[in-house]
Amino acid sequence: MTLTPYQGGRRLMAPALVAAVAGLALTAVGGLVDPRRALFAYLVAFVYWLGIALGALILLGAFHASNARWPVVLRRFVETVPAALPLFAVLFVPIALGMKHLFVWMAPPETLAPEMAHAVHHKLPYLNAGFFLGRAAVYFVFWIVVAHLLRSWSIRQDSAGGATLTRWQRRLGAGSLPFLALTLTFASFDWMMSLDPRFFSTIFGVYWFAGSFMAAFAVTIIAATLSRPDPTAFGHHMSLEHFHSLGKFLLAFTAFWAYVAFSQFMLIWIANVPEEVPWYILRIDGGWKWVGIFLALFHFVVPFFLLLSRDLKRTPRALSLVAGWLLLVHWVDLYWLVMPHLDPAGPRPSLWDLAAFVGVGGAAVAFTLFRLRGASPVPVRDPYLEDSLRYLPQ
Amino acid sequence: MSTAEKTIQDAHALEGAPVLVGRPDDRALTESLLSPVLGPTRKGWLLLLFALLGGVGFWTLSLVTTLFVGIGAWGNNIPVAWAFDITNFVWWIGIGHAGTLISAILLLFQQKWRTSINRFAEAMTLFAVAMAGVYPVIHLGRPWLFWWLIPYPSTNLIWPNFKSALPWDVFAISTYATVSFLFWYLGLIPDLATLRDAAKTRGRRIVYGIMSFGWRGSARHWRHYRIGYLLLAGLSTPLVVSVHTIVSFDFAISQLPGWHTTIFPPYFVAGAIFSGFAMVLTLMIPARRLLGYQHVVTERHLDNMAKVILATGLMVFYGYMMEWFMAWYSGSASEAFAFLNRFQGPYRGIFIAQMFCNVVAPQILWFPSMRRNEYVLFLVAILVNVGMWAERFVIIAVSLHRDFIPSSWGMYYPTWVDWGLFLGSICMFGVLFLLFLRFLPAIPLFEVKELRRELEHYGDNAHPGSEEEG
Repeated sequence: MTLTPYQGGRRLMAPALVAAVAGLALTAVGGLVDPRRALFAYLVAFVYWLGIALGALILLGAFHASNARWPVVLRRFVETVPAALPLFAVLFVPIALGMKHLFVWMAPPETLAPEMAHAVHHKLPYLNAGFFLGRAAVYFVFWIVVAHLLRSWSIRQDSAGGATLTRWQRRLGAGSLPFLALTLTFASFDWMMSLDPRFFSTIFGVYWFAGSFMAAFAVTIIAATLSRPDPTAFGHHMSLEHFHSLGKFLLAFTAFWAYVAFSQFMLIWIANVPEEVPWYILRIDGGWKWVGIFLALFHFVVPFFLLLSRDLKRTPRALSLVAGWLLLVHWVDLYWLVMPHLDPAGPRPSLWDLAAFVGVGGAAVAFTLFRLRGASPVPVRDPYLEDSLRYLPQ
Repeated sequence: MSTAEKTIQDAHALEGAPVLVGRPDDRALTESLLSPVLGPTRKGWLLLLFALLGGVGFWTLSLVTTLFVGIGAWGNNIPVAWAFDITNFVWWIGIGHAGTLISAILLLFQQKWRTSINRFAEAMTLFAVAMAGVYPVIHLGRPWLFWWLIPYPSTNLIWPNFKSALPWDVFAISTYATVSFLFWYLGLIPDLATLRDAAKTRGRRIVYGIMSFGWRGSARHWRHYRIGYLLLAGLSTPLVVSVHTIVSFDFAISQLPGWHTTIFPPYFVAGAIFSGFAMVLTLMIPARRLLGYQHVVTERHLDNMAKVILATGLMVFYGYMMEWFMAWYSGSASEAFAFLNRFQGPYRGIFIAQMFCNVVAPQILWFPSMRRNEYVLFLVAILVNVGMWAERFVIIAVSLHRDFIPSSWGMYYPTWVDWGLFLGSICMFGVLFLLFLRFLPAIPLFEVKELRRELEHYGDNAHPGSEEEG
């Protein structure tokens, strides 16, 4: 099979780029007007889009670790989403510059409540500016290197062929998974859990992973559906079987997210330990309660029952609609995770929320499309491409 | 050579061992796979059975002692109210999970290699759940009133307390046992019919005939069978996660350091699959040799199961790391102490064994050659079994023996009854397994036959290239 390199995506790239410039510029204006609010909005957008790139990287590692054949046709896309990670390293700069507005432990005021002051003091060896930035650097270097190697070996195989490159990818894919899990976890502690220095939850990293991993499937489904008419794109080569399987994974990880969310909530609620429970009190008393109920219903119950339908999973457009919905509620989920630390009384949506979401998202989409171009849309010389194209589960 | 041919060659270069050695025909498969059932009783089997029955005697004695004397016959006492009993319960329940994962989740994932090991693993699940179910019941103190745990409108006006994890366990485990049994039995029916047809004595024909529910292998039978099997697989899938999640709630809903932590549900599930696959390997490695199943349970199966052990072992290690980090990060003195007490306290030997068996030993499975080495694999599997038992003991008894107030600390020492209930249950499990191997087909005959046809049609590993090559 020979394919011309992908040259499409221009129609989406231009508006994405405009959105990126406009959104980021507007967020910057927000930074001048109300730095704290703008930075919180930016943090939500940052962990949202970065999470998708990391979810895709973990998915890629899992494909290689399990020697999976069916997803070969869509693997180039999954390889390219994490190729946006260098962009996120740059987009981290505003967070590094605005740390003292985001994290109370950066510059604890004198008026801090005693238990908060105790928590901040105790965590000083971990939660301090130098170590925080050093950790972020380690995370990004690791993520960028793994994503780059996996993608470049795969692209090299397009011309070189051979089983050796597949073996390398499998080894790195499997070997990097434990470290991806740890870096993602500690990143979630640093960037989200430490917003309240009192709070700790051993499942917190899994929570961010669950939502992000689900979102990575959702993005893949939408990209595949949009690119179906274009013969130079990966979606064109996918069969309904692939959509069906992606839909099953979307269903599974919608349920997994709910499982993790319920486990964390139920265990903290029932034990009612003073160190942990304020984090949920913040989200149950007052206006955030409705966001929590919304999430339970629309991040889990409704999409779960919709995705049970076989017909829906085999109709790319319908599946994409559900995937799009899940991407939206996943943003609400992260908003609910971060924003109560800014607005304890209840949600106060602002223009900066939208600006940051569109800005970071536009940049990520434009950059990913840019990285997609020039390479073959599917790994043409992968030994299992034929298997993947003829994928017919019984 | 064209690019396409080269690609096919590359695919062949990546192949591991086959899932089925050779292409035995239906008759040869029936004969080789049913020979342990239809053949004469072997001396080795009898010897092993009697040896294990000795252990069952010890188990029965311990059970009877518990019933007569009460819980006082055990080493449990405040503060260590849960010890060997609940450790054994969690250990056995966890072991059962591999069977459900193999039969349900691997079916949904279309993993062909599950075919020859699923019945074996499901039988293990059933026997493990049966062993596990004993402990909570005898721990009730008055086990003859166990049915008070079931919510029904009784004239006693007794209603279970739904805030207690104990009734949750009743639901989780009885559902698990029921669905596992139905799933296992449904899969057995076509092979029971084969046994009926192949049996040489009238008595066997009648017994297997009744057990196979009049299966004739008609297209209608097969259609209903397929639908039923897939539905049960779907029902079993949440059970893989839910059962051990609820078991983890038994601990995590408390406020005790070492018990109350949010990672427990997924970490317990990973640990359950970890220990379950270790038990499948512990039983399968000798069984495939002794019963001559090497052509259907191949190196590929061992390799894949070793990978599952490695992956779930790493998830368990992730759980440990989260607990250690949070013990410090939380800033709570009692959290930190609970974990230091594991490293430094009087039970540190068990903790070290846990670390070695669960964290260090499985890392050898990163090497493909080790994954295919039966001896290494058997050793790792035994170590994981030991390590997972040690883990549960450390979580349960070691967390309890030193909690918040030093004046309430204590030590736990098992009595002979504790040992009898633990080691005896392993013997009872072994007896049930030996009976299973002797009287029922341990490898699903019809599924292996179907697999052989698929392989003939699509080539080994269902690779399209070999089809044209013939």
